[in-house]
Amino acid sequence: MTFHIVLVQIAAIVSVLLFLAALAVIGPRELRASRRRYRERCRAIAPYAVGLGIVLLINRLGRRLGPELSWIIGWNVTGSIYAVEGTFVAELQALASPPLTAYFSFAYIHGYIFLLIFPLLAYFVLEEIEPLHETILAYTFNYGIGLVCYIVFIAYGPRNLMPELVDSLLYTTWPESQFLTTIVNVNSNVFPSLHASLALTVAAMAYRTRGVYPRWWYLAVVLAASVIVATMYLGIHWALDVIAGAALAGISVYAATRTSALLSRADSGQWWVPAYVDRASRVVHQLMKSIR
Amino acid sequence: MRIDPTGASPTVSRRAVLGGVTALATGTLSGCVQQMRSLANRRRPDPVSLTIRTVPADTDSAATQIARSLAMHLDAVGIDVEVIPMAEDELRRTVLINHEYDLYVDRYPKQEDPDFLRPLLHSRFSEEPGWQNPFGYSNLDIDGLLTDQRITENQARESVVSELQRAVARDQPFTVVVFPNEIRAVRTDRFTGWYRFNPTTKITYLTLNQADDADDSSESRPLRVTTTDDRITKNFNPIAVEFRSNGTFTGLLYDQLALRFKGMMWPWLAESWTWEPSPAGNTTVTIELRDDLSWHDGRPVTADDVAFTYRFLADTSLGSRESPVPAPRFRGRISLVEAVEALDDATIRIDFDDTSPEVAVRALTVPIFPKHEWEPKATVADLAGIDLIEGVTEALIWTNPEPIGSGPLQFEHSIAEEVVTLSRYDEHFINQASTTNLGDIFGTGVVFDELQVRVVPSDEAAVQLIAAGNADATASSVDPRVVPRIGRNPDLKLLVQPSRSFYHIGFNAREGPLGNPKFRRAIAQLVDKEFLVTEVFNGYASPAATPLAETSWAPSDLRWEEADPEVPFLGARGDLDVEAAKEAFREAGFQYSDEGHLIGR
Repeated sequence: MTFHIVLVQIAAIVSVLLFLAALAVIGPRELRASRRRYRERCRAIAPYAVGLGIVLLINRLGRRLGPELSWIIGWNVTGSIYAVEGTFVAELQALASPPLTAYFSFAYIHGYIFLLIFPLLAYFVLEEIEPLHETILAYTFNYGIGLVCYIVFIAYGPRNLMPELVDSLLYTTWPESQFLTTIVNVNSNVFPSLHASLALTVAAMAYRTRGVYPRWWYLAVVLAASVIVATMYLGIHWALDVIAGAALAGISVYAATRTSALLSRADSGQWWVPAYVDRASRVVHQLMKSIR
Repeated sequence: MRIDPTGASPTVSRRAVLGGVTALATGTLSGCVQQMRSLANRRRPDPVSLTIRTVPADTDSAATQIARSLAMHLDAVGIDVEVIPMAEDELRRTVLINHEYDLYVDRYPKQEDPDFLRPLLHSRFSEEPGWQNPFGYSNLDIDGLLTDQRITENQARESVVSELQRAVARDQPFTVVVFPNEIRAVRTDRFTGWYRFNPTTKITYLTLNQADDADDSSESRPLRVTTTDDRITKNFNPIAVEFRSNGTFTGLLYDQLALRFKGMMWPWLAESWTWEPSPAGNTTVTIELRDDLSWHDGRPVTADDVAFTYRFLADTSLGSRESPVPAPRFRGRISLVEAVEALDDATIRIDFDDTSPEVAVRALTVPIFPKHEWEPKATVADLAGIDLIEGVTEALIWTNPEPIGSGPLQFEHSIAEEVVTLSRYDEHFINQASTTNLGDIFGTGVVFDELQVRVVPSDEAAVQLIAAGNADATASSVDPRVVPRIGRNPDLKLLVQPSRSFYHIGFNAREGPLGNPKFRRAIAQLVDKEFLVTEVFNGYASPAATPLAETSWAPSDLRWEEADPEVPFLGARGDLDVEAAKEAFREAGFQYSDEGHLIGR
């Protein structure tokens, strides 16, 4: 089946990218040193990974049920998006040339997958665990909130509304890739762009860890920018999808850092229930006693 | 000198003066208030604003492009417009069932006999779901012609149908845009015979041959076709109008009494039939069923099943509701039938009212249902025990996940949005190599043991699959833009055939200005059909002025010659003459605001 060949090709290319980036960004010595921490690390991230796993599973189920639900309660915003931004994506595509199309197709599929996996690897070998926790949590928020948005908003991308102006560049130059993308998502889920939000999430995390991984910060910025431009250049997303994706990234990173801080305090024994709740419970306790 | 307008005498009493003053005061005041009321209660004319619903480009790029081009021209003449892409089943539900739309662009399924226009345009169908007058259109003259064509025959019918087409073209209840060609990519290294019949008919699948040089060593011989339309993987209900277009695959599962072949109707499940027309216009047919029929679950097909099917399609509640709940598909054909009776196990008599045999035979092409499967579906559909919507039976919303029919193929399994597998039903008479009324065109039956219908994300992907040898043909027509891809590959054959299905723009006559035929005509004149054929279809379509354009029924004065004979495009080569178009809307009785918006009340 063509689909499996596509999958194997992509997996091979992304693996090579990951390997090269690991050597260049993390360095062989750190990679070797990290082997000692392997078990302890796995234990530490297990609950976070399970959380992300559950959200991804819901997403997976939601891919089939979501659109059905969406057409019952959702709001078709395609026309409104077009009314706001018009033919911006078509104008962007006017710059199209075969090398650019090849580059952005590569960024959209391979670059994006690499961008999502590499930070997990890089932060896994790091001394501090927070970046890894935060990244997993941020992914979880992205997918979770993204799914809700996809149910609430029905939106088709520019290539689906104005085929006479916007080419489905990815799918016309590389038809097989569509077997993969349709398994990942359906064409009425474009608002917000999860490609944009996750790419920006990774870039934001790379900024926070630029002290340890300066090279990753540069690489992540270039890749995230490429992925974002690719979503529009390939006619898949509207500019508004990208803006909404940026907002989603902001919310997700903020929520992830707060949650991570709260959870680590809980771990270290400092219960994070606000003080007034604590006081209130003591008052109730006293009252109960006095009644008895 | 000023003349007293009241003409009152100069000598007046004080009282009269006082009274006069009061009267004058009240009069002036009331006049003022009256003016105020007249202004305040006058509704501000609103800018005309329309939505165009259609499918997204992934589903049908041509439909989206027709909608977009119309939207741009509507915008140019000062009409606020929004194109709303919708999933195909949702579009059908909104337009055909709920009638909640202004304009839509879609394909009308293929049609054979002019009688399809009767349910589409007759005013008595305007409250029904399905392709039953979704426009809410009513015109007594057209109603009369639609009734006349049903009873007349031969030349008389021809002239009625011509008259009908002229009236429809004049009034534009919907605008026919083009008849697209059916474009397919096929491989001929495993199966041949794709060219003989129209690929949307089931006969194509039943008469394929095995290629001479096909590899016989492999045990299973599946025929693998692709489709971009995933509705077939989710629903097998032949009467679910949102899920069916031409009904080709459900047609392979469910057989019918008569089969259209080479422009004629032939007994199919029927062994023979006897027609008895009466001078009063009432027609009766007595049908003898074949004796070798069985359902896919092994039970015999009886006259009782046939009689049940006709009663059920006419009223899916089987008389349990105050008003009948007819099936939204096959409505036109079923409405011809007056009464059905099973005379014995294998004989059925069908009576038609005011119908000529020529039209009546259409009623014999509906799918025959097994009574034991469908009778329980006559109950009212509810959501968790709540009767949500009046007059919807289970039969209308049932997905029919494991269809039992009596057709040459039977259902095997399906994975939603991925694939459907049908297999050869060995007990079927063509697979038994029994004689049929159509001669020996079927040989020893279907030559494949499985038919796999695979959903693909796009036409490009479909061509890719076929080129790689992972599929044999596209089951649905592909977009003209992939034709070069098919041409470049020596393994692929390009199959281009005219079709009887047409793209059209539907107007909801229930909505404000769209009830005005002049307004509809003005909109029709914004559509450059010739240009769309070149730009959108790369020439793989014919522009048309009448829904019967591709048939011999079209009168010569409605034939396409350079331009639309009734509603020619106001402009040239896709460029709209905005002033001429605005004039057409003014002619229709509309005005323009100072800002250039078309306004109406």
